[in-house]
Amino acid sequence: MSERPSLWWIDWRLSRGPLVREATGRFLFFCLLGFALLSLILSGGAGRFIADRYAITAVLRTEVPQAEAEGLARKVAALPPVRSAAYRDPEVAWKEFLRAYPGMEPLRGAGGNPLPGYIEIRIRPERLTGADVRLVTSALRSVSHVEQVLAGDEWLPRLLRAEHIVSWAFRGIFGAFLAGFFLVCRLQERARAVALAGDFAFLAERGVPAGRLAFFRAAGAAVSGFLLAAAGTAAGGGALFLSLRTFPFLENVIGPSYELILPRTVAAAALFSLVVALLSGAASLLGWMAARSRRK
Amino acid sequence: MTRGTRRVLSAFIAAAMSIGILFPAAAPAARDVAAELRRERARLIQMKEREEKTALELTEALRKEKLSKGRVGEIQERLKRQRSLLSRIDRKVSVLNGRLGETEKAVRELEAEHGQARTGLRRAEVAAFSGQRAGAGDPWRPSGRERERYFMRVYLAADAEGVARITMARERKEEELSGLERQVAVTERKRTQEKKVGETLLSRQEEERHRLADIEREKKRKEKELKSLRAKIARMESVVSRVERQVKERERRARKAAGGSEAGKPAEVPRRFASLPGGLSAPLAGKVVTRFGRQHDATFDVTIENRGVEIEASSGASVKSVGQGEVAFAGSVSGFGNVLILQHGGGLFSVYGRLETFLVKQGEAVKKGAAVGRLPGSPSGKSVLYLELRAGGTAIDPTSVIRLDR
Repeated sequence: MSERPSLWWIDWRLSRGPLVREATGRFLFFCLLGFALLSLILSGGAGRFIADRYAITAVLRTEVPQAEAEGLARKVAALPPVRSAAYRDPEVAWKEFLRAYPGMEPLRGAGGNPLPGYIEIRIRPERLTGADVRLVTSALRSVSHVEQVLAGDEWLPRLLRAEHIVSWAFRGIFGAFLAGFFLVCRLQERARAVALAGDFAFLAERGVPAGRLAFFRAAGAAVSGFLLAAAGTAAGGGALFLSLRTFPFLENVIGPSYELILPRTVAAAALFSLVVALLSGAASLLGWMAARSRRK
Repeated sequence: MTRGTRRVLSAFIAAAMSIGILFPAAAPAARDVAAELRRERARLIQMKEREEKTALELTEALRKEKLSKGRVGEIQERLKRQRSLLSRIDRKVSVLNGRLGETEKAVRELEAEHGQARTGLRRAEVAAFSGQRAGAGDPWRPSGRERERYFMRVYLAADAEGVARITMARERKEEELSGLERQVAVTERKRTQEKKVGETLLSRQEEERHRLADIEREKKRKEKELKSLRAKIARMESVVSRVERQVKERERRARKAAGGSEAGKPAEVPRRFASLPGGLSAPLAGKVVTRFGRQHDATFDVTIENRGVEIEASSGASVKSVGQGEVAFAGSVSGFGNVLILQHGGGLFSVYGRLETFLVKQGEAVKKGAAVGRLPGSPSGKSVLYLELRAGGTAIDPTSVIRLDR
C-alpha cells in the first residue's frame, strides 16, 4: 500500500537545527518589531506627542464669574474632538505668567493682576486635525464670555504637517524593517531549500509533487511566522508595558499602558501577525522557486 | 456862629439899642446914669469882643471836631469793611492753601505712582523682550508660549493704560495746581494790597484820633470859657434891663416935671413900620444871604436865631435909611463892627451893622433914602450889611416890610 507521507513541518523534520536558530532570530526580531508596532499604534506616530503639547486657549472676559467659566469648560469638554478642558482662574494665570516671566511679581502691587482667567482645551491625539481644531475654535468664538481664542493659527498647520511627516517616517521605517524581514526570510528559505534539495529530489522521485511540497513548506512557514509574530508582539507589548510603568514620562510620548489591551491594539497586533504570516509564506515560496531555478 | 453866640450877640444888641435910645432922650437929671451906662457899655463891648472871639474859636473847634469825627467815623467804617474784606480774603486764602496742599500731595502721590508705573512698564518690557529672546516657558509647549505671549501683551497693555491714566491724572492735577497757585498769588496780592490800605487807614485813624483828642481838649477849654462868658452876659443883660427900667422911670419923671397935663398922658403908643410916612425902602441893592428867624445850619447841626438879615452887596456901597427918623446910636458893637441905630418913633428902630464909616452923627435927623453909612471894601468885591428892624423891643423880619432880593 502506498501511503502518502504528511508534508507538514517537512523542513522541521529534515533540518531541525538551523530551523531552531532561524525561529529564535525571528522571534527576537518580532519582539522588537512588535514593541515598535505597539509604540507606533499607541503614539499615533508623533500625534500623541504633538497633541500633548498642543492646547487651545480660550481667554475669558475679566468679568466672567468663576462658576460660569467652569460651566463653560464642562460644555467645551463635551465636544467630540476635545480630550480635556480645564478652567484656570486669574490667580493661576498670574502664577503661570510669573513662572514664565520671573521678576514681574513686584509690579503686581502697582496695578494688580491684569490677567483674565482662561480655559485650556486639549484635543484627542487622533482628532488633532485642522478641521477638528477649527470646529472647536469656531464653537468657542461664538461664546460671548470668550475674549480671545488662541489656537496657534499661525503655526498649527506647520505643526500638523511636521506631525504627518514624522508619523509617515515612523511607518516607513517600520515598513522597511518588515521588508527587510521579508528579504532575509526569502534568503533563508532559499538557502534551506537548496540545502534540502537532495531530500526534496528523493521525495519527488517517490511521487511527491513539487507543488505540494512547496505549498506545505509555505504553509508551515506562514503558520510559524504568524505564531512567532504573535509571540514576539506579545513579548514586545509586555516589554512596552513594563517600560511605560517603569518610565511614566514615556506615556507622554507613547501613550498610557492601558491602551495596550484595547481591542484596536489587539486587532492591530493580530493583523500584524497575519501580515507576517503572509510574508513568511511568500518568502518560503519565493525561496523554493529560487532554489529550483538554480538547480536547473 | 453858634446859637449861644447868636443869643449873646442879640442880647448885647438889644442892650446897645436900649442904650442908644436912652442916651439922646435922657433928661439932664439922668446924665450920671448915662455916664454909668457908657462905662457899662464899654465894659460890655470888651466882654462881647472876648466872648465873640471865644465863640468863634469854639465854633471853629466844633467844626473841626465834627469834621474830624466824621472822618474818624468814615475811616472806622472803611476799616470795618477792610477788616471784613481781609477776613474774607484770609478765609479764601486758607481754603485755597488747603486745596493747594491737597493738590500738591495728590500730585506728589501721582508722580510717585507714575514713576513706579513707568518703572514697572519698563521692567515688564525688558522682561517681555528677554522672555521673547530666550523663549519664555517650555519650548516644547508652543500653545503655552502663545498664551504667555498673549498674557504679556495684556499685561503690557494694562500697564501702559495704567501709565497713561496716571499721566493724564497727573497732568490734570498739575493744571489744577497751577490754577490754584495763580489764584493764591492773585489773592495774596489782593491781601497785601488790602493790608496796605488797612495800614494806611489805621495810621489815618490814629492821626484823626490824635487830632480829635486835641480838638476835644480845645473844645473843653472853649466851653469852659464860653460858660464863664455866658454868665457875664447874663449879668450884663440884667444890668441893661435895669438901666432900661431906670431910663423909662426918668422919662416918666421928666414928663411929670414938664407939666401936669402931660404927666397924665400915657407913653407913646408903639407903631408899625407899615404906618411910617412914606413907607420903607431897601437900604441898598443886594441879595439876602442870611435870613431872619430860626435857621438850621447843616454843617454844624445847630439852629441859629437870626434877629435880622444879611444882605450881600458890592464893596463900598452906600447904605441908605429905610425910613425917616433920627440917629439914635452910632458906634462900634462887638461882632457887628460899626453899628448905626435909627429911631423912627413909636418904638420903631432900624439897625445897620458891619458898616465901615458913618455918614451921619448921633442925634441927626435923616430922611428916607438918605445915605447914612458905607460898607467896607474887600478883595472879593462883596460886602455884607446887617439889617435889623425892631418894633416895640421885638425884632421883625425885614423882608416882610421891605422888598429885598432873596
